[in-house]
Amino acid sequence: MEDLGSDSGVQSQPDKGKGTADDEDGATQDYGDTYDFDDDDEFFGMDDSGFEPVVSSRDQRKPWEVEYHVHDAHGLHDKQEAMINRLVPVLSVSKDITTILLRNSQWKEESLVERYLSDPDKTIRDAGMFPNAPAPELKTGNEDFTCEICYCDGPEEVYLGLGCGHAFCTDCYVTYLTGKVLEGMSWRIRCPGAKCKALVGEQAARLLLANEPKILERYEDNLTRSFVNDLDSFTWCPAPNCEYGIECHVPKSAWATIVPTVHCRCGKAFCFGCNMDDHMPAPCFLVEKWLQKCKDDSETSNWLKANTKECTKCKATIEKNGGCNHMTCRKCAHEFCWVCMGPWTEHQQAYYQCNRYNEDSSKNARDSISKSRALLERYLHYYSRFSNHERSAKLARRLLTTTETNMEQMQRNSSMSWIEVQFLSAAVDMLSACRATLKWSYVLAYYMESDNQKLIFENNQSDLEMATETLNELVENPVHERTIEEAKRLIIDKTQYVKTRWETLLRDTAQGLQENRWKFQD
Amino acid sequence: MSMVPKRIMKEVERLTKDPVPGISAEPQEGNIRYFSVLMDGPDSSPYEGGHFRLELFLPEEYPMSPPKVRFLTKMYHPNIDKLGRICLDILKDKWSPALQIRTVLLSIQALLSAPNPDDPLANDVAEHWKSDEKAAIQTAREWTQKHAK
Repeated sequence: MEDLGSDSGVQSQPDKGKGTADDEDGATQDYGDTYDFDDDDEFFGMDDSGFEPVVSSRDQRKPWEVEYHVHDAHGLHDKQEAMINRLVPVLSVSKDITTILLRNSQWKEESLVERYLSDPDKTIRDAGMFPNAPAPELKTGNEDFTCEICYCDGPEEVYLGLGCGHAFCTDCYVTYLTGKVLEGMSWRIRCPGAKCKALVGEQAARLLLANEPKILERYEDNLTRSFVNDLDSFTWCPAPNCEYGIECHVPKSAWATIVPTVHCRCGKAFCFGCNMDDHMPAPCFLVEKWLQKCKDDSETSNWLKANTKECTKCKATIEKNGGCNHMTCRKCAHEFCWVCMGPWTEHQQAYYQCNRYNEDSSKNARDSISKSRALLERYLHYYSRFSNHERSAKLARRLLTTTETNMEQMQRNSSMSWIEVQFLSAAVDMLSACRATLKWSYVLAYYMESDNQKLIFENNQSDLEMATETLNELVENPVHERTIEEAKRLIIDKTQYVKTRWETLLRDTAQGLQENRWKFQD
Repeated sequence: MSMVPKRIMKEVERLTKDPVPGISAEPQEGNIRYFSVLMDGPDSSPYEGGHFRLELFLPEEYPMSPPKVRFLTKMYHPNIDKLGRICLDILKDKWSPALQIRTVLLSIQALLSAPNPDDPLANDVAEHWKSDEKAAIQTAREWTQKHAK
């Protein structure tokens, strides 16, 4: 699928490099339209992008996948050009003005056209341009010219003036632009005149920077940067040094029920909504909640669980760092026994030892503690599984490198060709994907209220978990020449099985979220 | 020392030949980028009758970067802090290379006439200004009498 050229349509990571034939599982058709977010008012210009998917992306999209496009710098540039060029005849003003108008209105074409049609002159002026100004040009030979920046004057000076009437010599202009461009600015650069609101349009900037290729390049970069930043339907791939921009039209309002996972061409899988690493099947708002909770709690609560008890009266957390078992709470002055947690009054006769474990009062005290501990236990149950899969995912990534060596070895030790040992890397890819999904599935489970629907989810989860562990074991087992054929068969079978389990879980959660099948608690 | 740009020379020339009423700005001997400024408090402001000393420095990047200006005389003003630093848009993000020493000083003088406690630099003074303007203006007058004579 990577070879489609422009990454139109969707990809699911473990399928990388495979055909689309095995993607059919019969469940896709029913949900074909659920993810149709390309409203006409937001999703313009797609036909101009020049992509021709071999198969219509909608046919191969699975319930948990969203439609998106990966663009490189050229693609992003073309995208802007296409949007601008389409609007020039509609507004029938120069391309330079159309461009500024679009940028100034955050590329919201429809509202711009509406505003423009009701008052063209005002719209143009408000954006910092001038309706009837001639195209910017470098001038010379003016006796009266004085540059207000360096005070050079005379007919030999080359200068440029905008529609606002301020003119400056090219040297000053270039220095001025260079400074602004290096600050990261582009189309928002204003005329250097004091308090002047006129914008130095792109045409003027390109004219002035013609002899400064490096600055001009940076200027164009800044333009693209602001394009991606200004549009809600675009984001940058968060991978370090990755320069691809992702276009996705799943609206923000849908992020609670859809996880908009996208796969950048650089290999990074991340959530379009929150820019975090792929967190399917948990939706963004639960992820945010969970991470905040982990940040607040995890280490502390681990330690608390291991080292403290709570006062049975006021719930203050108490660490016993010495002394006898006769505890007096510093906070509420309640006296109790550290061993049985019962009130000390019942221990009068039995100093330094507690033989009253089954007394009702101490039992009640323990009950109330265990309730608050139970909440903690519950959290730790999910947290430990969450972090285990996180750790295993890291190991799986390491496994990827050892797999490469294993594959080379296999080619040498057996009659297998390169293509025949690909099953191993496919298995490891699958493992990584499952680990990530499993990890976040525990977050989903943590917030789910207990009911039958949750049970079904947990069954799917445990099926996938068991299958994943088995596959993990198979992949890590050393392979001998004698057993290689057998191992290959096992791994291929298991990978296929894991894939079905994985897809089942993803399909089920994607559908469940859409149908509001689960209730979530705090 | 690097050559002094034509722009600075011209500005100095004009400032000497055609000074701004109520403001004098003279470059220091040996450093044409450093100016000693004396500014009269504007009429019908709490600073009326005061003579305020400022220093003004033109950085290497001037006029692409704004000049650095600071009051040397103690001021009671919501947009001027204890160290004499001034909160004025044209000295920061609203700077334009087409502005000059002359326009900067005029803007500062205007700021003395129209303090803006909603965009404060000296928080305590601004608070005073907002809660009891009369008393704040009185304090500013007293400071003018005390420090700027």
